[in-house]
Order: sequence, then C-alpha cells, then structure tokens
Amino acid sequence: MFTSHSLRRGWQRCLAGVAALALAGSMATSPAQAATSEAPASENVLRIATDGFIDSFNPFTSFYLVPTNTFRYMYENLVANDAKDGSITEGLATEWNTDSEGKVWTYTIRPDMKWSDGEPLTSKDVAWTYNQMMEKEEMAVANGSLVENFDKVEAPDDGTVKITLKKPQANNPGQEIPVVPEHVWSKIDKPGEFKNDEKSVGSGPFQLESYEANKSITLKANPNFWRGKPKLDEIQYRYYTNSDAQVQAIRSGEVDFITGLSPDQFTALENADNVELNEGNGRRFNGISINPGVADAKGKEFGTGNEALGDKKVRQAIRAGIDTETLRKQVMQDYAQPATSFIPAVYPDWALKSDNSVISGFDVAEAKKLLDDAGWKEGSGGIREKDGEKLQLRFLTDADAPIEQSTAKFLKPWMKDIGIDLKNESSDVDTVSERTTKGDYDMYFSGWSINPDPDYQLSINTCGQRPDADGNGGTSQDGWCNKEFDKLYQAQHVELDQAKRQDLVQKAQAIHYEEAPSVTLWYPNQLEAYRSDRFDNFTKQPSDGGAIANQVGYWGYSSVEPVSEEEATGGGMGAGGWIGIAAAVIVVLGGGGWLLSRRKKSDDRE
Amino acid sequence: MSTPTHDPHSGDRPDRGTGTANPGTGPTNPSPASARGSAATADENPADPANPAAVDMDEPPAGGSFTRYFLRKLGGAATSMVLVIVLGFFAFRMLPGDPVLKIAKERPMSPAQIAELRSQYGLDKPVIVQFWDYLVGIVTGDLGESYVYRKSVSALIGEYLGPTLLLTATAAVIAIVLGLWLGQISAWRRNSLFDKLASSTSLIFWSVPTFWLGLILLMIFGGTLQWLPTGGMITPGLDPWSPAGIIDVIKHLILPVVSLVAVVYAQFLMIMRASLLEEMNEDYLTTARAKGLTEDEVRRRHAVPNALLPTVTVVFLHIGGLIAGAVTVEAVFSWPGLGKLTFEAIRGPDLPLLQGTFVVFSAIIIVMNLAADIVYRFLDPRVRRA
Repeated sequence: MFTSHSLRRGWQRCLAGVAALALAGSMATSPAQAATSEAPASENVLRIATDGFIDSFNPFTSFYLVPTNTFRYMYENLVANDAKDGSITEGLATEWNTDSEGKVWTYTIRPDMKWSDGEPLTSKDVAWTYNQMMEKEEMAVANGSLVENFDKVEAPDDGTVKITLKKPQANNPGQEIPVVPEHVWSKIDKPGEFKNDEKSVGSGPFQLESYEANKSITLKANPNFWRGKPKLDEIQYRYYTNSDAQVQAIRSGEVDFITGLSPDQFTALENADNVELNEGNGRRFNGISINPGVADAKGKEFGTGNEALGDKKVRQAIRAGIDTETLRKQVMQDYAQPATSFIPAVYPDWALKSDNSVISGFDVAEAKKLLDDAGWKEGSGGIREKDGEKLQLRFLTDADAPIEQSTAKFLKPWMKDIGIDLKNESSDVDTVSERTTKGDYDMYFSGWSINPDPDYQLSINTCGQRPDADGNGGTSQDGWCNKEFDKLYQAQHVELDQAKRQDLVQKAQAIHYEEAPSVTLWYPNQLEAYRSDRFDNFTKQPSDGGAIANQVGYWGYSSVEPVSEEEATGGGMGAGGWIGIAAAVIVVLGGGGWLLSRRKKSDDRE
Repeated sequence: MSTPTHDPHSGDRPDRGTGTANPGTGPTNPSPASARGSAATADENPADPANPAAVDMDEPPAGGSFTRYFLRKLGGAATSMVLVIVLGFFAFRMLPGDPVLKIAKERPMSPAQIAELRSQYGLDKPVIVQFWDYLVGIVTGDLGESYVYRKSVSALIGEYLGPTLLLTATAAVIAIVLGLWLGQISAWRRNSLFDKLASSTSLIFWSVPTFWLGLILLMIFGGTLQWLPTGGMITPGLDPWSPAGIIDVIKHLILPVVSLVAVVYAQFLMIMRASLLEEMNEDYLTTARAKGLTEDEVRRRHAVPNALLPTVTVVFLHIGGLIAGAVTVEAVFSWPGLGKLTFEAIRGPDLPLLQGTFVVFSAIIIVMNLAADIVYRFLDPRVRRA
C-alpha cells in the first residue's frame, strides 16, 4: 500500500492546482474594470436594472432596444415627441413648415446651442448627419428607412435646415434621427464601425460616460442641454439577466428603477417598503393574428394556413367567439387597457374610436351564425364540417410566455363552443418566429410596439409589405392585403391636414377591423417600480397615466430629482447583514479550530 | 472487524454530469475517457471489491510505456475535439429562427437594409463556404465575430473567462472539500444518523434544479433579508482590487457559489463514501489496527488516502462539468461570465458566439478528461507497475 504522506502530497497538489485556478480567475477579472474604478462622484445616481442587448452606441448602426433608448437621451432630434401625448414638439428646431404639397420641409434651428463639449451646434451638423445616412450604406443600417424618401438635405445658413423629399409625406421627417456633431464624427476613419462607447459628445440631457458589456452603462448629465442641466448627476444601468432578480434588487434598494414587470411581479411589490409602483398605459398591442391566406407581394400564396380562414366570415366568427374582456381581466389581471385595433389608446388621435360602427363585441350566437353563413355546419361532437372536412385550427404560442399559454387555455373551450377544434401548438420563440414568417400557422399570438405617428404601422399592413415565402423582402403585420386599405394608407401618408388625416387613419383601421386578419386583445400596461425614498418627479408619456421607460423621447428620467441627500446613500448592507456574516465567520473559525484541536490530539497519541 | 456492506446507495449514485442545464457536457462526451471515468466513479463492481483502483477498464493490463499511453489518450481527445468543432457548426445552423429576421422584427427595416446585414454577417454565402471559413478561422485561432457585440469571439471569451473561473473554482474547491470530508465520515460511520442525514441531505440538494435553488436563495438573502447582493460581480464604480472592492466581490460571490456547491457536493460525498466503504474491507487496515493505531488514525492515515484514489479522476471530470454547469447559475445571478455570455448568445441567436462558447466549453471538458487520465496514472502506482 502507499504511504499516506505521498498520497496526501498528491492530493494537496491537486487542491493547490484548483486554488491556483481560482486565483487566476480572480486575477482575470479584467483590467477593464479598473478603468472605472473611481467611486461615483456623487450619490445622485439613478440606478436602473436592465437586461438588454448592446452592440454599440453608434446611432447609425445600432438597433437594439437599450441603445436606441439611450440615443434618445444622448442625441436630440430635429423635432421631438411631446411627453403629453406624443405629438410633435420642439427639438433642435424651434419652428418648421412645409410647402403646400408636403415635399419641402424647412426647419428653423434654435440659436446659440452647444454640444456637450462646448462646441457650437448649428444646422450644418444636422445636414451632415442626414447626408451621411443618405450617402453611405454602412451609416444607414439603423435608421436608413427613415431617410429613404429624402432627396436632399441642405443647410443654407447656420439656422436653417431644408429637407426635400422624393414624394410628399405628412409625417414630419425630422423625428427619431439622432443628430451627431460633425466636428467629432467627420474625424473618424470608419464611422460605420465606431463603437462610441465612452465619453460621447451629444446634445441630449445625458451623455455616455462609460460602458462595460454585461455589467453597466453610465450616463452623465450634459451641462449644455438646451432645456437646462438635469437634476440627476448620473444614470447607471446595471445588468440583471433575470427579471425576478430585478424585483429582489429593487426591494433591497440595489437599484432605483425597474420596468417590464409581469402582473405577478408587480403585485408582489405592492407592499414593499419605499417602492412606488407605476402602471403606465403602454404603447403596445397584443393580438391574435389569423392567417388570411398569406401570399408574397406579387400575390402568390405560400404557407400552410387553413383555407377556411381565407373566408372573412370565419375570421369574424373567431373574433366574435373570443371574450376579450374576460381575457384582459383574467390573463392580464386587469393590467391592460381594452383594445379596438392596432393603434393603442395612448394615441387617442389615431386609435380606432370605440364607438365606431364597425366594432362588434363578444357574441357566441353571432359567431355561430357567421360560421353557418360560411357553410360550416355543425357535425359530430359539435365540431363544424364542410365538404366532409372538420374545422380544425392550430394556435401557435410561445411555450415560455405564461400570458400566451393562459390565453390558449381560455381560447380552446371558447372555440369549441362555436364549433371550432383548436389545437394549441406551443413552441420556443424562435420556432414561432420562423413558422410565422413562412406562413406555417393558422393563428398565433402576436404583438407590436407603436410609435406616436401611425404611418409605419399602417404601412406594414399594405400589400407591398408582404415578404416572399422565405421571409425576405418585407415586414407584414398579419400577411394581409387589401387594395382599399392601401388607398387609404397612401391618402393619409400625404394628407397635411391633421383632422383629415385622422379621419383617413380611422377609416383604414375600420377596414382592417372588418376584414379581421387579426383580433386585437388588449393594450398591455407597462408595469414599473421605483424607489420613492431616493427619487421622485419621473415624467410619464403620455403625462396622464403613461409609462416612464421606453418612451419616444427623453422625458422619463430628465426631470427626476433626488428625494434628499441623507437618504440617497442607499444600497449598502444593513446591520443584519454584518451580524449574519459575523455569525458565519464564528461558525467557520470555530469549526476549523475544533478540527485542528482534534487533529492535534490524535497526532499527540501517535 | 465487521464486514463492510456494499454501499446501499451505489445504485442511486449520481452519474449524470453536473446536474445543471449544461449545453457543454452532452455532446462533448464522445470521449472514451469520460465514459470510462464515470464508469469508474459509479463503482458498480461489487464482485471485485478488492480492487477499487481497477477503474480504468480499457487500461492495458500489463504496463505499456507512458508515452504510448499518453499518445493514445491525446489521440482520443483530439478526435473528440474534431467532432465537437464539426458539430459546433452544424448543430447551431439547425436552430430555428433567422438571426437577421429576428433582429429586424418589429423594426422599420427595408429589404436593402436586411440584405446588408445578411452580407455583413456572411449569411448570404452558401453553408459550405461558411463552414470552410469557420474551419480556417478555428485553425488560425479566429472564432469569428459576434453578431451582437460586433467584436471578436475569442476576445469576448477571454474577457468573460475570468469571472467564470473565479466562480467555478471557488465552488469546486468548497464542493470537493465538503463532499469528500462528509463522505469519509459518512462511510466510517455508515448507517449512523450522521450518515443518513448527510447522504440524504446531499441527495435532496442534488435533485433540486439549480435555477430554482438559486432563485430561492436570491429571494431570501437578497430580497427579504437584504444581506447579499442580488446580481452581478461587483458594484459598478468600485475598484475590484481595493479592499472594499474585494469584499464586494466576495459578497457577490456567496450566493452563486452556495447554489453551485449545494447542487454538486453530493456527487463527491457519494463517491468518497463508496470508495471508503470498499477500502474498509482491506487487510491492511486490520494490520494498522494491530499496530495499535486509533480508529481515527486508521481512517485518516490509511483508509482515506487510499480511498481518495478513485475519486481523483471523478473530481477532474466534474471540474470540467462544473464550468459548463455555470450557465444556469450565471444566468440566475447575472454573473458576467462565459455562462451568461452563452445565455445571451442563445437569445440572439448569435451563431459565431454560440459556436465559440460551445467549442471552448467542450475543450475544457475534454482537457479535464485527459488530465484525469494522466493524473490518475501518476497517482496510482498500480496502473503504472502492473
């Protein structure tokens, strides 16, 4: 047998190796971190939990949600969307007008503005930014579609920008394009590859200070912001992969703001100390898309949709058989607004009015009548049949989304009531996405976020926006096509009279509603929470009952103020924590001592 | 001396890797070394209790030079690595969902913009060309560029490897020491209350899903008691090398390490327990007792060192598994390591990054398997001298 010493030595070596690994690991915690080693200059830092992707902070190329939201704080646009209702308001431009056609737009730029580095900001910067996007493909990755209709952009003097469009449009072309400083960006060799991830120069209320992938993003207040320096010194995004951890983090005061809570998480925070909840009317809709017989832009059908759904009476029957009010209350636990069509109620000017004559409610008798009229007669087991075929439909849902799963559970018996055999096919989100682009579905749970101007969402319901069978070439909301809708879309696209345009948008949505390529279920509320012991004065959009995060604009955090300095030290470990750690240390030391003493005794005996 | 009974738990003994969601270990086990490794640990050979060290089933019974042995093992590892590299490419190509369309979803993007993205990602090339580029890249140490981070995958992996090593190495050390220590006491006092408690507790933890345990710990110690941070590795703004920074990192480390340890220490406990039970049959212990040594000394100086032998291989195998098993724990505790990087890559889907982390995880496991074989040969003279 081996001597215990040699063996113990071998064993100790193994342990030493593992310990060395551990040490290497701790050493490898990257010098990048040391770069941001200074403690925050002030405790006046709003800490926000996030889990979003970031490719870069280059406003020309990045299109993920977190960077896009950050750009809204970093760079001012020509015109902004108001906090009150999303309508167009002052940005870099104080005034704007268009020719009678809506083809030439002229903007007056605010005088004496400065970039965050103190350099003057003029119309030349605006023209330079737009021209970059129009001239260079690599600069059009993120927002190229916004300048597609631009013919030329000029700056005749320091205070004027003139945009000439290829075709007239009613939607103000100065929105949502971050304007960057020419004096910084023109010196960059390959601006399309520039990451822009430290010490940015911009004109918005906050500027990027530092970024550490998957760890944190720090923004600093811009003293030169034309609306005045924000009261917050810094905004710091901290990474939490998991939304339950975010809930615990706000509870413990590790972060000051979280958004995107599920109804269950929101309810769980109701009694948490120093946590204020905000149930903001969201700018999203959720619905059930019904395959109307998807076809490519040339009209050639593809996919596996049930032919029965090509008949609008069947689609209308499905809607009449769905009790959206019960779904809203049960599935969404009332954290959602009742819906009409695909423009949410936060945009009251554009949303389909609930008293529109086209709107019909939950009505089982009506649903049955519609199916009778469509030739689907009740057969064995209550399931309707036509030409010997049963009315069986597939409902595609994301297996990881509890809301979609609950909706499916409600839908199955409701559809059975009107004679439709509904099969729930739940899958992972990638499969759902792949199948829906290829038209391989009958019905699926869908949703979109909508911007203040309805043009884009209307456009993706036009015939020309349908993709080909491989999913290339377009982005269609429901794979639906209707010539009359297309005409209304085009008419509102160039209608400069706001009231007339609203009317055209209402009419277009009424046609979509009547044709029923989808059933809008509800407008989910954006559920958020913040530490009321640290900050207040968050601005909502719309200001009456809206959301704080993910706004179209920079209102949410720009107005935030610290509650008081004494309370703003937050986050640290309480006395309980130190007692716990002390107890653990005592247990470990005590245990170790006991072991040592035993060993000593046995050694003595030998 | 009482006749030791065969470990009643040996049938239940965990042999399913790390017990955590683990994209690395599954496909990376074609290595004959790993299969043998777990056969050894399972110790399902009661007919031959006298030879607990006969774990290497396909070991040549008579000697063979170390070089030949090493080359054979190395060849096995290299074959596994080639399989992993090929699989790494095609497996992720079969994932549903088009990365570009997923990025373009719900965004106003023109067909020209989508085509531009596709060409930037190299997705417009035929698969076979993409595969060739990938192979050439691997040979030259270039794992491609991540779609999301727009950064070299090798550089990204380098950046995220450190935190993973810190987490898994700490967890490994604690799990091994705790498991082996409890395991030897359990075996020595088999069927005692201590044995029953230690074995059953460890098995309960073993069967708990890691993410669930992690969440429970997070809620109790992070949210309710507010003793420990709920995520990340360090409070942003702190210098990790300052005293406050080090304490902060340790505080962040506690919950993820506890979750990982709780789930995996059972396997070390059970292996040690079984191994020592086998050892307790041996005549040399009787000899030792006859020399007048106390029970404690017999255990510590003679039985345990010999019982440690078969566990070494397993320990190495499980260190590899532990690193791969960090995926779940890192996702729960937002630990900025390779596991979280993989998790983000799956959400993308970021094909080059997924391929890269897959290859790296697999390589770690293959290397650990190889190391287990080599170390075992060094540690156990019987394998050398036989």
